[in-house]
Amino acid sequence: MTGQTHSNPDAAPAFSETMEITEQELAKRKEFLEFRDEDVKVLTGVNDIARRYADEVIAEFYQHLLTFDETRAFFSDETLLRRVQNMQKEYFLRLTQGSYDLAYTQNRLKIGAIHERIGLPVKSYLGMYNFYLRAVASRLIKAFAKEPERAWSVFQSLMKLTFLDIGLAIDTYIHSRERTIREQQEAIQELPTPVLPFREGMLILPIIGLIDTKRARQLTEQLLGSIRANRAKVVVMDITGVQSVDSRVANHVVQTVEAARLMGASVIIAGVSPEIAQTMVTLGIDLGRITTVGDLQSGIERAERMLGYTVTRSAPRHGAGAAE
Amino acid sequence: MRTPILKQGKLLIASVQDSMTDADLIQLRDDLVSGVRRHRSVGVIVDVTLLDVMDSFAARMLRSIAQMIKLLGAEAILVGIQPEVAFSMVQLGLTLEGTMTALDLEEGLAFFAAKEAAEAAGDDR
Amino acid sequence: MTAEIVVPIRSDADILLARQRARALAQPLKFSTSELTLIATAISEMARNIVTYAGKGEVLLRLERRAARSGITIVARDSGPGIADIARAMEDGFSTSRGLGLGLPGSKRLMDEFDIVSAVGRGTTITMTKWER
Repeated sequence: MTGQTHSNPDAAPAFSETMEITEQELAKRKEFLEFRDEDVKVLTGVNDIARRYADEVIAEFYQHLLTFDETRAFFSDETLLRRVQNMQKEYFLRLTQGSYDLAYTQNRLKIGAIHERIGLPVKSYLGMYNFYLRAVASRLIKAFAKEPERAWSVFQSLMKLTFLDIGLAIDTYIHSRERTIREQQEAIQELPTPVLPFREGMLILPIIGLIDTKRARQLTEQLLGSIRANRAKVVVMDITGVQSVDSRVANHVVQTVEAARLMGASVIIAGVSPEIAQTMVTLGIDLGRITTVGDLQSGIERAERMLGYTVTRSAPRHGAGAAE
Repeated sequence: MRTPILKQGKLLIASVQDSMTDADLIQLRDDLVSGVRRHRSVGVIVDVTLLDVMDSFAARMLRSIAQMIKLLGAEAILVGIQPEVAFSMVQLGLTLEGTMTALDLEEGLAFFAAKEAAEAAGDDR
Repeated sequence: MTAEIVVPIRSDADILLARQRARALAQPLKFSTSELTLIATAISEMARNIVTYAGKGEVLLRLERRAARSGITIVARDSGPGIADIARAMEDGFSTSRGLGLGLPGSKRLMDEFDIVSAVGRGTTITMTKWER
């Protein structure tokens, strides 16, 4: 029994609130950082030292933050400050508690998302990590004064782990930006395309911006409705504002022209740039029966001729040469 | 149901009702062909304003009706395809290639009037 | 689960019936005239395939509900010859090319969801759904 399921690819894609990471991706990142089981042992091995220094480090950390106007602004509220300090302590201790699995990364992603949402700049976020590493480094040297290699080994493992965290944090910032861009694009596409009645029997349809399947359908539906409402016989479709066409867009244009024809209207496509003309030829799109012109004015003039209009200038233009 | 056909001078006007079965379409074809012959009509307007759905069979049928009428020496024009119907038709690739179309009955009549005027002007020369 | 309407398809007259039943069923939903036309057209094509290739079959109609949206699902089913090359039948080129002439890619474009299960000698089942916007 063979079968295939097809769902319409343009029917409402979902963009998740927080970024997601798979087991595979996490494994890849750890591998790239060379974060291995030994590192886990090394880090859990200093958990008790971390506990000892946690409060101190956090206090120093916030002292540092509060000396700068930019970061102080984020922690102006006393209760907020206390809460955030507790969260930071938890974060700090978590670094040496082992079990750096998917749950660990999800927690880090959430923290990153919160910082992004409150508007903390990336530079400040990175600065914070930097402070941690230095604060911890000096304490490790003190704690392992007799075994400097051990201090160095712990520091290396810690660096690998914090860089894993930094990578995740920056990715959440990027993810959020991308979501905003996506939402804005969708908003732009929601804007209705104006269909402009120009002369009796003529419509101008300017195409602006990106055309995807959903928008193309909206456009076609709008145009067909306008043809009926305005009893249009010629439509000038202006694609001057279209940057590029791929086979899908071209297909939509061809379909629109065919649908208009079924309603007795001819379509002139105006504003075909040399690039688009090239693409059309390369894609092997046969515009045999479709009239295309290079610019909007030519399109309008052609339409007017088709409708039997002649446009004449009744008086000479100001400032024109003698041979007017 | 049988499509009513009206004779208006040298034209035949067929007003398709909302839902056509295959048999109705075949009947329409036969009625128009015999009608064109009998009345020596020069033109046929098939008005599908009320047609709710144009599927592949209907499209093929209407196209062949137009072709047959042309072979009989008359001109056929299909009018009144609604926006929704036109839209679904192109999704299905039903373009009615080669068949003349106009917005509605008014435009269809205007087409034949203009044609007649042009021919009359030609005859006067 | 909502009630299912079964329309046996034995001749071309049943194609019209299937469309009419679907329109009636979809009445309470918020479909525009355009959307109803798309649905009716897709049904027409699928029911026609049944008549043309299998001789007989059935069209099932039912209302659906998913995540606060309502929709209509149409199942066009037959025990006919089946489709040997589904991929080719679903080939979606420009509007002028129609794969094997079964109107499948076109009907898929008219609906929101489209599923086809077919095997040579066993028949074909097409399930399609359209959701309210």
